[in-house]
Amino acid sequence: MGAEPACATGEFLAVQLARDLGDGERAIIGTNSDIQLAACNLARRLHAPNLWWVSGPGGMANPDRGRLLSTADPENIETAEAWIDLPDMIDFIDWQVHFFDFAILSALQVDRFGNINTVVVGDHARPKLRGPGTVGISALTALSKRFYVVLTRHDRGALVPKVDFVCGPGFLDGGDSREQAGLPPGGPKLIVTPLGVFDFAPGSRAMRLRSLNPGVTLEQARDQTGFDLVVEGAPPPTTPPTAIELATLRDRVDAGGVLRRKFP
Amino acid sequence: MTMARTSKLVSLEDAVADVKDGAAVGLGGWIFHSQPMALVRALVRQGAKDLDLVPSPGSIAPDLLIGAGRARSTVCVFISFEQHGLAPHFRRAAERGSIQVHEMDGPGYAGGLRAAICDLPWMPIPDLATDLPKVNPAHYRPLPTAPGERRLLAVQPIRPDVCLLHAQQADEFGNVQFLGAPFFDVMLAQASRRVVVSVDRIVSPETIRRSNHLTKLPYALVDAVVEAPFGAHPTASAAIYRADEAHLREYVEASAKPEGFGAYLERYVSGAGENSAYLDRIGGGRLSELAVSESNVA
Repeated sequence: MGAEPACATGEFLAVQLARDLGDGERAIIGTNSDIQLAACNLARRLHAPNLWWVSGPGGMANPDRGRLLSTADPENIETAEAWIDLPDMIDFIDWQVHFFDFAILSALQVDRFGNINTVVVGDHARPKLRGPGTVGISALTALSKRFYVVLTRHDRGALVPKVDFVCGPGFLDGGDSREQAGLPPGGPKLIVTPLGVFDFAPGSRAMRLRSLNPGVTLEQARDQTGFDLVVEGAPPPTTPPTAIELATLRDRVDAGGVLRRKFP
Repeated sequence: MTMARTSKLVSLEDAVADVKDGAAVGLGGWIFHSQPMALVRALVRQGAKDLDLVPSPGSIAPDLLIGAGRARSTVCVFISFEQHGLAPHFRRAAERGSIQVHEMDGPGYAGGLRAAICDLPWMPIPDLATDLPKVNPAHYRPLPTAPGERRLLAVQPIRPDVCLLHAQQADEFGNVQFLGAPFFDVMLAQASRRVVVSVDRIVSPETIRRSNHLTKLPYALVDAVVEAPFGAHPTASAAIYRADEAHLREYVEASAKPEGFGAYLERYVSGAGENSAYLDRIGGGRLSELAVSESNVA
């Protein structure tokens, strides 16, 4: 990654996300979400002590162990402030508009307008690749005030012109098509990848390069993206994790080094 | 003369004996937590086929039934091996087109269970602008709404013939206690015609009463209870043992080739007819390591 100080991809991504999370916001973390969880707990340690997050599957609120565990893991219960049964959470997860300020998701494919696919690559009846499925992604992308996508790979297989299956609506076909589909205001805010940080251009709602990660060239970002990125002027470099951010992450959020091991 | 209370405690094999060919089978838990694996292995041995699986977000429970050739269809809310990759048999069967996949999302699954629980013909859910209604029109149907109103879908009831669940403890009467999150298990139980629960230990009615806030499934909602220590293995059971990552890797590796998976089934399913025989094959040393709390692991 070439950042100073040196850090793993998973740590770099968690720090980029954490910076954008606000104090007092409400968030939901899904299953298999190490980077997402690290981002929330890092934000809580640094600038957002009142950030509230809940584990989608397990219902634990603000579990804080100093090390990363699966969000479904019952070990999270003993350090959580609350523990809510899933049936009690369904109304605000699956129904309520803007209960959550944000969700952070991952995907098999993300497209030009920030739509997410974790279902199939290819045709649904005879897929080239069968993914795990939708779970809560539909509700989180449709109903949160905003969402983020974190990708640990950035290539033409992951960033495609149009997703093969929309399981999480972004800006759909761009422009005002999200609103036309009857969805509440929202949509993707940032996509963070090993190559850079991306947002969406006003009006077209097409993915736009916001900053390039250290050591990454514009040509490389263009070559590894399956559609034309919006680029305005010379993109600035992404600010790498500071010493304080990285030390806090390693000492108080991910003491077991899960991010370094899983996402080197 | 006083009548005795009715025990619902049965053997593993008896618990699944009357699952018929073509039955809709609900599977509880969440990915690598509380998958009802001892019951699933017993169901594979029982031989019922053409099953329509209704798994909550899961991993090896649906995947093993698909790999063993027992399922003709499955609901898919989420079937994943997470850090170990994609679910090997589910993935292969879906890519070959040899299993019908009823694609669903969390809201559709929860709404379908609620419709069944409430004896409603359908339950409204918000239209979230996904492709799900396109590939699964049988479960998702657009509802007429006036201009300016929130767009809605009707989801059909999900009513399994039987559901298989795993929890930590119960008394012999079927009062089931959860030491961790119940995930969708309580809804699945309420929606199913028959409810079968394995637990790691049967405890006394006094123990149940002493911590009755843990009883999420009172016996009126339970048809059969089975004592199956480590019955969720290789997935985790809250506060009792963790997931067996090495065994999950072994399963994924064995699933790469038919002969490898045949040997897996022989060793861990067909050739291990009692839960104790299965546990012997996993080994006491391994099981004791899984019972160690993460808090105590450096």
